[in-house]
Amino acid sequence: MSLISPANLRRLFWIWVILAIVAVMTGTSGNNSTPPTTGVHGSFMERVSFFGLFATWRWLLFVALGVIIWLISSAYRPRARQIHHGVDAFMALPRRLTAKRSTRLILMALALILALVVPKFIHESFWMYLIVEQIGVWVLLALGLNVVVGFAGLLDLGFAAFYAIGAYVTAWFTGALPMPALFHHPIPTLWVIPLGIVAAMIFGVVLGTPTLRLRGDYLAIVTLGFALIIDDFVETQSGVTGGGLGTSPVPHPVLNLGFFHFRWGLSPTPYYYLCLVFIIIFLAIFTSLEHSHVGRAWVAIREDEVAAESVGINPLKYKVMAFAVGAASGGFGGVLTGGLVGIINPGLFTYQVSVNVLVLVIFGGMGSIWGVALGTIVIQTVTSYLDNYQPWGYQINDLYMYIGALLIVMMIFRPAGLLPSRRRAREFAAAEGGEEIHTDEVLTGEQP
Amino acid sequence: MSEVATRSLSFEVKDITLRFGGVVSLRDVSLEMRRGEILAVIGPNGAGKTSLFNSLTGVYQPQEGTITFWPSEGASISVIGKKAHRIARAGVSRTFQASRLFSALTVFENVKIGAEDHNGLGLVGSLVKGPRTRHAEKVSDEVVVDLLEFVGLSNEANLVASQLSYGGRRRLEIARALATKPEVILLDEPAAGTNPSEKLELTSLIRRVRDERHVGVLLIEHDMKLVMSLAERLYVLNFGSVIAEGSPEEIRANQSVIDAYLGSSHEDASN
Repeated sequence: MSLISPANLRRLFWIWVILAIVAVMTGTSGNNSTPPTTGVHGSFMERVSFFGLFATWRWLLFVALGVIIWLISSAYRPRARQIHHGVDAFMALPRRLTAKRSTRLILMALALILALVVPKFIHESFWMYLIVEQIGVWVLLALGLNVVVGFAGLLDLGFAAFYAIGAYVTAWFTGALPMPALFHHPIPTLWVIPLGIVAAMIFGVVLGTPTLRLRGDYLAIVTLGFALIIDDFVETQSGVTGGGLGTSPVPHPVLNLGFFHFRWGLSPTPYYYLCLVFIIIFLAIFTSLEHSHVGRAWVAIREDEVAAESVGINPLKYKVMAFAVGAASGGFGGVLTGGLVGIINPGLFTYQVSVNVLVLVIFGGMGSIWGVALGTIVIQTVTSYLDNYQPWGYQINDLYMYIGALLIVMMIFRPAGLLPSRRRAREFAAAEGGEEIHTDEVLTGEQP
Repeated sequence: MSEVATRSLSFEVKDITLRFGGVVSLRDVSLEMRRGEILAVIGPNGAGKTSLFNSLTGVYQPQEGTITFWPSEGASISVIGKKAHRIARAGVSRTFQASRLFSALTVFENVKIGAEDHNGLGLVGSLVKGPRTRHAEKVSDEVVVDLLEFVGLSNEANLVASQLSYGGRRRLEIARALATKPEVILLDEPAAGTNPSEKLELTSLIRRVRDERHVGVLLIEHDMKLVMSLAERLYVLNFGSVIAEGSPEEIRANQSVIDAYLGSSHEDASN
C-alpha cells in the first residue's frame, strides 16, 4: 500500500487533529485577565527548547511528532488485522480470566492481600487519608449506586442525598449538630453505623415509594430534585445542620468490647481498615443479591417491565428494594466520612458528587460489582494524583473536561464499561447488533 | 362442543369499553371463557384484539364493564383495577405479540424468573441462603427443567435467549408463561413470523399445553389454518366490537365475518 494514498493521508490529518488537542491540553493555560484564547495561542506559539539543542515553536514539535507517529503506524498498517485481534483478545482478558471459579477466588485473595498491605507501603498520612476519603468512601458510594443504576436500571441523579443523610445522622446522634441529639448521652460514632445505614434506607423507601412509579427520565428528574432539596436544606437550616459552616466536630469512633478497647484517632490507617471491612461486607451482600431471585427480578424489570409484571413481579416493590439497598452503602459512606473528616459541611454533598458517582459506575461497568470497584479505584487514584501533583500544566478545573472526554471515548469503544457485567454486555450487544452473539463470548468460547 | 358448554367459567367479560382519549378501542365487548378450553379471538388489524388481552391482564383499565376471573371453582376475582402482577399471580399468564423475553438472560434464567415465588422470600431470604431459600431454589429449578423439556428447549437451556431461533423464542415465552402455574394462558399471535415447520410444532405445543398441563388457552392469531385447527370456539372482533361467536364451522359460514375480512382489510383474507 502506498504511503501517499488518500486513505493514508487522511490518517495523517486525524493524527494531527488529535495531537493539536493534546498540544492545547498540555500547553499554557489562559486566565481571567487575558483573552480566553491566550492559552490556545500559547500552546502552539510558545518557544520550547529541545533537550537544549535548539529552540522551536511548540506547534512544530507536534507536527513533527505527528509525522513520526504516522510513519510508524503506516509501517504496521499491513498487520492491522492482527493488531485488532490482539486488542480484542486483550479486552476480553478479564472475562477469560474470571471464567473459572478457581481463578476468580485466587484473584480475590490477591486483591484482599494487596488491600491489607497497602498501608505498609504508604508512609505519609496525607496519602493514607486520601486513600480512605477519595477511594474507600467512593467505592462504597459507587457500589451503592451500582445497585440502583446497574442492577435495577433506575437512573438516580441524586445519590449524594443518601451520602449526606448518613453523614448528618452520624453528626446528629453524636451530638455534633446544633439541633439537640436524640438521646441525652450522645452515642459513640461506631455505634452510629447501623443507625446511619438504617436512616439512609428509610429515606430510600420514603423517596422511592411515591417516585418509583415514574419511569426513565421522570425518575431521574425527581431524584435530582431530591438531592437539590437535601443540599439546600443542609446549607440553609443553620439551626438544624450548622449551615454552610458545617457541624461541630464529630467525635472519632471508639470500639469498646470490655476486654478490647480501640479508639480511632487522627491517623487514617484504622479508618482504612474499618472502610475495608465494610467494603468487603457490601461486596459480599451485593454479589449474593445479584445471584438471588431479587437480582433476577431486577434484571427482568430493567429489561422489560411489562414482561416482568406478566410473570408476577411487582416492579415497585423491587425498585424500592434497590433504592433502599443502594442507600445502605451510600449511608455508610456518610457515617465513615463523619468520623474521618470531623466537620461535615454541605460542600461534601453537592450535585457534583452525585454526577461523579454516576460517572464511576458507568466507567467501571454498570451492573458489574468488580468493575465498579476497580473503575472507582482507577479514576479516584488518577484524579487524586492529578489534583495533588498537577503535572503537565494540569489544572484542577480541567478535571471534568478530561472526565467528559473519557466517558465519550468509553461509550464509543467499550460501552459496557471497564469490566462489563456479562448480562449488561449482552444487552449492549443486543441493542447494537440485533441478534448477533457477543464477540467476547466467541473469543472465550464460553457458554454463559 | 356440548361437553365444553357444561364446564364452569374461568373468564367472564361483560360489556367492557376501553377508550384512549376520544378513540374507542373496545366497545361493549362481552366474552366468556370456560375452564380448560381453547378459545380464539380473531379479527382484522386494529380490531382491538391486543387491547382486549391487555384489559384481561390488567395492563389497560377499561372505563366501563366488568371482568371476572375464577382462579378455581368458586373463588372469583375482579380484574379491572388490579395491577398486572397481581393478576399474573392469580393465574392469568400471557405471551406478547412481539416476543418480550429477557434477552440478556439465559433460557434457563428466563423461565426461572417466572417459576420463582416473588412473594414469599424477601430481601433477607435472598441474603441468608438458609434451608428455606435453598428449598425454594430447588423447587423452582425443578419446575424450569420440567418446562424446558415440555417445550423442547432442554438442550438450549444455557444459551442466551437472544440466540434462539424465532420459533425457539416463542416456545420459550410459552415456557416462561407456564412457569407461573397459570390457570389460563393468553397467547398473542404465537405463530407470527415462524416458518411452516415451526408453526406445526407450535400448534401441537399449544394443544399439549391444554391437554397435558390442563391450562386454558386464549389465543389471538392471524393464521386461519392454525386457528381453525386449534380453537374449539372463536370470537370475531371488528372495530372494537364482537361481531360473531361460535365454532370454527359457524364462523367460517358467518356472512358478517366474511364481510369484515373482505370488506375492510382484504390483505388479511389471504391468511
